[in-house]
Amino acid sequence: MARRFGLDALPHTVNRRRIYILPSGFGLALAALILAMLVAALNYNNNLGLAFAFLMTSIALVAMHHCHRNLLGLVVDAETEADGFAGANAAVAFTLENVSGLDRYDVQIRCADDAVGTASVAATSRRGLVVYVPIARRGVRRLAQFELATRYPFGWFRAWTYVQAAVTIHAAPQPQGERPRSGASVALGATLRGDQPGDEDWAGLRAYAPGMPLKHMAWKVLARGEEAAVRTYSSPAADPEWLDWYTLAGVPIEARLAQLCRWVLDADRAARPYGLRLPETSLGPDTGPAHRRACLRALAAHDEAAAA
Amino acid sequence: MSPRVSRQGLLWTSGCLALVLLPHIGGMPPWVLILCGIAAIVRVSLAAGGRDAPPTLLRSLIALAAIALLFVQFHTFNGLTAGSALLGLVAGLKLLETRTRRDVCVMILLIYFLSLDALLVDSSFWLLAYLLGVCWLTSATLLRLTVTEPGPAWPASLRYAGRILLQAMPLALMLWLFFPRLTEPLWQLTDNDQGATSGIGETMSPGDLSDLAVSDEIAFRVHFFGLAPPAEQRYWRGPVLDQFDGRVWRRADPDGTAAAGLRTEGPEYRYRISLEPYPHKWIFTLDRPTAWDAATHAQLTSDGMLIGPGPMSLGLTMIASSQPRWRDPEALPEAARRRETALAPAGRNPRTIALARALHREHPDERDFVTSVLEMVHSQDFFYTLSPPPLESKDPVDEFLFDTKRGFCGHYASAFAVLMRAGGIPARVVTGYYGGTFNRYSDYWILRQSDAHAWVEIWIDGQGWQRIDPTSAIDPRRVDRRLRDEQAAISLANVDLQSALPWFAALRLRTDALRQLWRERILRYNQDSQQSVLALLHVPDPDAEKLVFMLAATLAAALGWLTWQVRYELRPPPRDALRRAYAQLCAKLAGVDLPRAVHEGAEAYALRIAGSRPELASAVGALCRRYNELRYGPQATREEIAAFVRRVRAFRPRGSRAS
Repeated sequence: MARRFGLDALPHTVNRRRIYILPSGFGLALAALILAMLVAALNYNNNLGLAFAFLMTSIALVAMHHCHRNLLGLVVDAETEADGFAGANAAVAFTLENVSGLDRYDVQIRCADDAVGTASVAATSRRGLVVYVPIARRGVRRLAQFELATRYPFGWFRAWTYVQAAVTIHAAPQPQGERPRSGASVALGATLRGDQPGDEDWAGLRAYAPGMPLKHMAWKVLARGEEAAVRTYSSPAADPEWLDWYTLAGVPIEARLAQLCRWVLDADRAARPYGLRLPETSLGPDTGPAHRRACLRALAAHDEAAAA
Repeated sequence: MSPRVSRQGLLWTSGCLALVLLPHIGGMPPWVLILCGIAAIVRVSLAAGGRDAPPTLLRSLIALAAIALLFVQFHTFNGLTAGSALLGLVAGLKLLETRTRRDVCVMILLIYFLSLDALLVDSSFWLLAYLLGVCWLTSATLLRLTVTEPGPAWPASLRYAGRILLQAMPLALMLWLFFPRLTEPLWQLTDNDQGATSGIGETMSPGDLSDLAVSDEIAFRVHFFGLAPPAEQRYWRGPVLDQFDGRVWRRADPDGTAAAGLRTEGPEYRYRISLEPYPHKWIFTLDRPTAWDAATHAQLTSDGMLIGPGPMSLGLTMIASSQPRWRDPEALPEAARRRETALAPAGRNPRTIALARALHREHPDERDFVTSVLEMVHSQDFFYTLSPPPLESKDPVDEFLFDTKRGFCGHYASAFAVLMRAGGIPARVVTGYYGGTFNRYSDYWILRQSDAHAWVEIWIDGQGWQRIDPTSAIDPRRVDRRLRDEQAAISLANVDLQSALPWFAALRLRTDALRQLWRERILRYNQDSQQSVLALLHVPDPDAEKLVFMLAATLAAALGWLTWQVRYELRPPPRDALRRAYAQLCAKLAGVDLPRAVHEGAEAYALRIAGSRPELASAVGALCRRYNELRYGPQATREEIAAFVRRVRAFRPRGSRAS
């Protein structure tokens, strides 16, 4: 499929030529019903019966066009990277935009057989849709395409299209393990970083300069009409902590990664700067969600062959 | 697992089932309908109590019992009546167990089929219109119940289903017009006597026609291509009865095809006759048929009856020609002469026979004899009445001619034929229809059962069988004045109103014209009609192949239109139209010397105008406010914008710098 149409740039507008449509099981039942109607009406030579059977045929044909149209011109965008933990779901975020003047109902996005989300998008509006992809194993999983589908109206037909845009799912190991995360890494960290302003303890006010974080602004001081100031903190425990692959020598690889994952999450929750050291890379030390994500992705990507 | 269906969904499904079963009242066994009703009530109330369908075992037992009962009643599931009863039963039982969306889908399909089923039984325009409505509601229900997300609400579902139905109409019309029709049914029907109504029967004994005479039912309709024949020739020939047992006239076995010697004369009338269903093989034609539709496979018998291949249980429409005069120069074969002069077993109706012999002695010439009999009917106090006294003796003709002297066409025809036979003249009774009402709104004649008539044919050497209508010999003064009153008493609604209110008669004719149009153009639409539609579209040499081509071409066109239409509806709402309308409004105001300043918003502009031209304040204020709402408020619909455009177009500011 990808070879035929190439890769799709996101956001992608659903193209007429790439919408496929086939009757559903219910549609086949309807077809059988219409056939029975035709036979009955023809047999009884009944023109009104025939008219009704033809009306049903026509309604089905119109419904087919409407089903096709329910996808036509829909604009879909997706976050191409998603994160999750093995044994849980990865949330892949999509955005559906309906630029037309008609409401679209029951648009389904399918990333995998077991990862389906459904949404309706009102006329000239946009809405997000999160599809939860269940993850069995640690690793980096690349979904080469996703499917947009609909059965609206009536459920007699199923129209679908494939969007050739890859979504990468970084499945970090399931966080596990109770080993303490102190050790040799701390000393190494101390030499790298001196006392750095941290977020822990109140250390007085400093004059405000552009670029300082607004969340530390001393608003009460400013409200008194004095010079703008920011609060500063210092943290005695601000020494970066290293979460090191090599401290877990002798532990099986997956268990090691699971333990590291646990540590990353704990350290992140404690909001201390931490670094992650793996055989192929070392990250940080740093804090914040971006760093946490980078660490988890590194854990997901570690020696994928081993995970399989 | 398919999702559960809500109580509201159940209610709508039950409602659709009730609506589709409504036309089946009278057709289905009442207990099936009652069972469906109970099932609906039980299921919906269970759902109201938050409970599920009744247990499977109970449902299976009910189903088995009901189906067994149905079989006991009909002994078959084949055929229309038993089939639709079974279908209704299945629908009711299915409703009882409806739980998931999947069940609703099955229900909806059953409802669709029950709609078709109703049309197979009755084929009136109103039923079709009603079932279109039911189809619309059913489709809306299906639409609403197959959406997973909180989909369109009920009003929006109804609108959308209606739109789909409307878009399906042209396609359905093309299919209906050009889909090739079968000439023969796929297989023979088991119950094809439906629709057979009372009419002229195979026997006649005076008294039998009395119930027909007052029946207002339509027997057939006739359209003449060109002039209609004069009244004295509008005799519609039906069964010829030539065996008499003293009381009842019967039809002898018809003997083959037309007599070779018959020569028809006079102007030829071509007409299209459409017969209502009746359970006999003969086809009524204007006396005497000369040519008829070969497709009917009808045969002309030697006594001038047109006999079709089977009972006219579905009615018939055909084009035929007749000539009102004929003669047969050949001699009547001896066997036929014996048959046509045969009287009842000896001793029946002795006074009549004696009278005939006396008259014949007096008037040896055939013509004089006939005239004398007619003269007798005219001069003696014979009355024409629709409620004659009953003739109970074993000599009913004697009783009529000498005692009661009151009767209608059957009495006169019977007595006249007996007199002729007794006088040695071959005579036979012909039944059929006479006269008719002209529908001036649609150029055709209506023949009702009340136009049923009986007359006599006698053999005159050198001329063959000639028609004599003894009833017409009655002195008009002795035609019962109460006739109209009696008819009025029996079918009060029609006749009385008709005579009292001329417009009612006109209305009746008009509705009949429409009904006839419906029958001819829609219900009897067939291969021939398809050919004439093709001819109307200037297709040269229309044939079956061209029909299929036409079907393909029109379908392609209709589908092309549909494709365009569904995409056209997809276009974004016309924000530009809104902007253009506002510019137009500003231009109109500039035309009365109130140009909008470049920096001015709509609100400020309206305020300024209200200040300088108070008479425009309310109109301009409302328009500007609406513009702001549409432009900056929540997403305006296409209809709202179109309405605004129309309002701006209609807006005419008056006055200018002169004022």
